[in-house]
Amino acid sequence: MAGLAEATASSGKRRWILIAIAASGIWASVSLNLDPALLVPGEGGLAVLSEFFSYALSPATTYQSIVPEGTTPLAVQALLAAWHTVQFAAAAMGLSLIGGITLGFLSSYSLMIETRRGITRVIGGAVYSVARLTITLMRSIHELLWAVLFLAAFGISQLGAVIALALPCVGILAKIFSELIDETPRHAAHAAEAAGASPIQIYCFVLAPQALPNILAYSFYRFECALRSSAVLGFFGYPTLGFYIAASFENLYYGEVWVYLYTLFLLVAAVDLWSGAIRKRLALTR
Amino acid sequence: MTLPELYRARPRNLVVRGSLTAMLILIVGVWLSGAFLDPQAFTDQRQENIARFLNELRPYPLQSTTFDASVALTWAHSIMQEKGWDALRITIAISFAAITLTGIFGGLLALPAARNITRSEPFVINRTTRNRITDLIWSTVVGATRLLLIFLRAIPEYVWAFLLLALLGPTAWPAVLALALHNTGIFGKLAAEVIEDLPAGPLRSMTGMGASRLQVAAFTVLPLTLPRLLLFFFYRWETCVREATVLGMLGIVSLGFWIQDARARNFYDEMFFLILLGALIVLLGEVISTWARWYVRRAS
Repeated sequence: MAGLAEATASSGKRRWILIAIAASGIWASVSLNLDPALLVPGEGGLAVLSEFFSYALSPATTYQSIVPEGTTPLAVQALLAAWHTVQFAAAAMGLSLIGGITLGFLSSYSLMIETRRGITRVIGGAVYSVARLTITLMRSIHELLWAVLFLAAFGISQLGAVIALALPCVGILAKIFSELIDETPRHAAHAAEAAGASPIQIYCFVLAPQALPNILAYSFYRFECALRSSAVLGFFGYPTLGFYIAASFENLYYGEVWVYLYTLFLLVAAVDLWSGAIRKRLALTR
Repeated sequence: MTLPELYRARPRNLVVRGSLTAMLILIVGVWLSGAFLDPQAFTDQRQENIARFLNELRPYPLQSTTFDASVALTWAHSIMQEKGWDALRITIAISFAAITLTGIFGGLLALPAARNITRSEPFVINRTTRNRITDLIWSTVVGATRLLLIFLRAIPEYVWAFLLLALLGPTAWPAVLALALHNTGIFGKLAAEVIEDLPAGPLRSMTGMGASRLQVAAFTVLPLTLPRLLLFFFYRWETCVREATVLGMLGIVSLGFWIQDARARNFYDEMFFLILLGALIVLLGEVISTWARWYVRRAS
């Protein structure tokens, strides 16, 4: 605990942060013309709004339009859409794990630089910089922007969508993996080095296993994010939940929209609880 | 102990192992099913299309000549003048407005979601009375708030924005509210966890002196949690910048709008330039957020 004088000084520094946040909030609302009056819809808008939310409590049980004989029932359709969402996310996760581990290796300070001597240190440093630059670029472009790029390049393609989902995920996983491994305590590594272990041996058998629980927990969290992004890909024509949300909403079938929204909610909440349970068992901070 | 004994005695957990196996089976199964393997990925036609596409990513005035920096600069300058600067301003303003609202909503919702405040007689050492019904009411409040937070964060920003845009009309509000709703779900949960992890001592001494629940919240919980909340705040702001770019594709004139617009007109050079601009402000946001978090850590 800091003394009273220090505590006052630190709260003084914090005050500037709070003032800056308030100022930026005010600038933004002026700049965007965020008038609260715009939130109050006109009569027509109010009717749509109340109709939309009234369906929240009574989502549709069957299609709200007349459908031809033999159409997949609504509930089954929602489950199918959820399954497609999981498929895209899982496929992307597979690529991301492979890419993330590989690039995580190459952008790890402890493997590429710290344990190297002489000429290999120079080469390691060069590889490290290139790998860092690559993962930074990958994660700074949003998955939907990657999707737009691939749509323009390949047209609609399942593989393109999966790669678009995977690219930013690779960047984030590689960054987190390498940082987790670099942050592990060095005692065991020094002991192994003294016993004659090579840098790769130290990395694979000493540093990486210590960071493994954190790596696993973080990967499960990323799966949750991949699931949400995969649902959104539907807006670009892929058969995930977003596609059905957009289609039903544009046809004004609000009851169906809520069915798909609740399906998405249950799916993400289930994975949320699942990854939470794993994190708790691995007893982690991140 | 011998080595095999040590090996057998290593800590194992059924849930973790089961989850790992399930996840691996899922991933391998999805790839083996072949739905994502594209047999036409490497045909000549495809290769040709990709080569043409890559050529069209270069600035239009440079596509048939050798590279000339001044031509490229004029081209970039005209795009920035026409739409770039304004799109950047709107993207950043959306992220600022959204994160401010997130801080307010999330901070307020964190209180009823924290089990140590939202209960009958909080921070009392020896509870003398026990009333099942009031206990039940308080825990229902916690449960309902947490459910709301899960719902808010389960629906992606993009879906919120899509729905709100049709319901509220074409102002900046749908984008701001969409980001704020989703992030409130995340920030509220994180803040509730921070509140629950607070040491009970200071809170108990405040109640002992007769402070009400709200007074404890305002004058003890807030100052004690503020540094950690600010760390989460800036971390969430980073993702707001990222998402604000993309929400434009729905029709709000942030960067994403012009990216979609350029794609629709087949101006791939302009589209690529704007995508790189988006990457640049995401990086800038990351740098500012890292600096702000460092400043908060040093100040607390």
